[in-house]
Amino acid sequence: MANARKIARKSNAQLPLVIVIALAIVLVLLGKAQSGLFDQARARVTDWMAPVLVKVRAPVQGFDRFVGSITEIFSVYEQNLKLKEENARLRQWRNVATVLQTRVSRYQTLLHAVPDPKLNAVLAQVIGRASRPFLQTMVLDAGKQHKAMPGQAVLDARGMIGRIYLTGQRTSWVILLTDLNSRIPVTIASAAGGSGNIQAMMTGDNTAMPVLDIVSRLTTLHSGDQVVSSGDGGLLPAGLPIGTVVEDGSGGWRVALLADPASSQDVEILNFSQPPEALPPGAQLPAEAAGLKPMVTPPSPVAVAPPPPKPVVVARPAALPPDAQSEETAE
Amino acid sequence: MAALERPGSSAALRIFGALVPLFCGLLGVFIANIPVSILGEAVPPPLLGLVPIYFWCLVRPDLMTPAAALTIGIAEDIASGGPPGLWTLAFVLTYALVARQRDSFAGLSGLVAVVGFGAAASITCASAYFTIAALYWHFPPLAPILSELAMTVLFYVPTVYVAGMIHHRLVGASRSDI
Repeated sequence: MANARKIARKSNAQLPLVIVIALAIVLVLLGKAQSGLFDQARARVTDWMAPVLVKVRAPVQGFDRFVGSITEIFSVYEQNLKLKEENARLRQWRNVATVLQTRVSRYQTLLHAVPDPKLNAVLAQVIGRASRPFLQTMVLDAGKQHKAMPGQAVLDARGMIGRIYLTGQRTSWVILLTDLNSRIPVTIASAAGGSGNIQAMMTGDNTAMPVLDIVSRLTTLHSGDQVVSSGDGGLLPAGLPIGTVVEDGSGGWRVALLADPASSQDVEILNFSQPPEALPPGAQLPAEAAGLKPMVTPPSPVAVAPPPPKPVVVARPAALPPDAQSEETAE
Repeated sequence: MAALERPGSSAALRIFGALVPLFCGLLGVFIANIPVSILGEAVPPPLLGLVPIYFWCLVRPDLMTPAAALTIGIAEDIASGGPPGLWTLAFVLTYALVARQRDSFAGLSGLVAVVGFGAAASITCASAYFTIAALYWHFPPLAPILSELAMTVLFYVPTVYVAGMIHHRLVGASRSDI
């Protein structure tokens, strides 16, 4: 009993618990207002740890491969048959793709189309992965020194993995598509070829398959429809392969990702920056093209009248709602 | 080396002994957040930083102060990459609970002691879960946080064994000796 009193007296001499709890709550609120509160510290710690991670990673990878080979050795025959079948199917698709590519080139020539800008990419190696309850991320060995920037897309050989959200000098953190914080505007191309492209928002919820929020409720999806990045918001290039649509059993839709972040070793960081869209000349504005005069506000009765407002052209993709675009821009 | 409380031991060693619990917490955070897993990220890493908080809060609360718990929580937030303040609040709330019920927790032994730690870790994970739910305005899936809780409890026995060894060799006086 006497000991307990001594302990209590000693504890009371320290910083009161209530103040510490209040500080922690303030930290949470500050973090909500400014999510990059610890980013500098994180980036420095990761930069500092990068050489160690590279060295530690090698034996762990070897162990992973060994464990993987033990389980896979029993299914080699089945896998071989499956791969042969898939290979035959892919050869057919290659022929189709070659024919289509030729046709597209011909059309581009006829239309004098401006080809899509080529994307620069930085090759990076995955040196760390973290699967925390509220954060799914990976660490790459490319940072500001290699021109990696927050917001850039990260892809493996199969498809998009996520986006960079924090860069140090030599390392970057990637937020995976499955993460709670991930929101990507996507385009769904119907596999049946019926209703054309559908715009949607793909949201991670820390499960293996992100959720699809369909922008238009009138459209219907089918399992197997292809999901690619829409490019809306200008942060990501359009057409990056992401996955296929699957039904989640409760009436909702999810995306089975093509990429496998758990096994990816080498990834590409796409350096994409969309040039600012130029305003069309005055004659091409809808009102003037229709022969109408631009709208001028009546002069104000106040003695010192403000200058008349200039016509403003807002360049916004028609398919994306304003709230979705603001979310994408905020990210 | 063993008894830093003995007269004659230098002030520097005494300060070092007093900082050992904090260093152990920070070391636990560092080890748990090395982004390399031999299990292929199948399970989340345990909250190793919580074990020193729990252990020294029971045996030497004068060394594991609320400020030390706050520091370990901030370190966990920085290293884990989650929303700022998430684990800080969870660790501090757990510390407050354990400090309030110190006599109940300290009286547990054997398997019941593990259950006691499990209860404390549940508070940590529940705090983090509900903080995230409040921040994102929807409940995230339960499975990942339950895995984290299970891993933390699973790693409690070896970690507390190491903490006990460090305590006896570097810190010295146990709770009953104060």
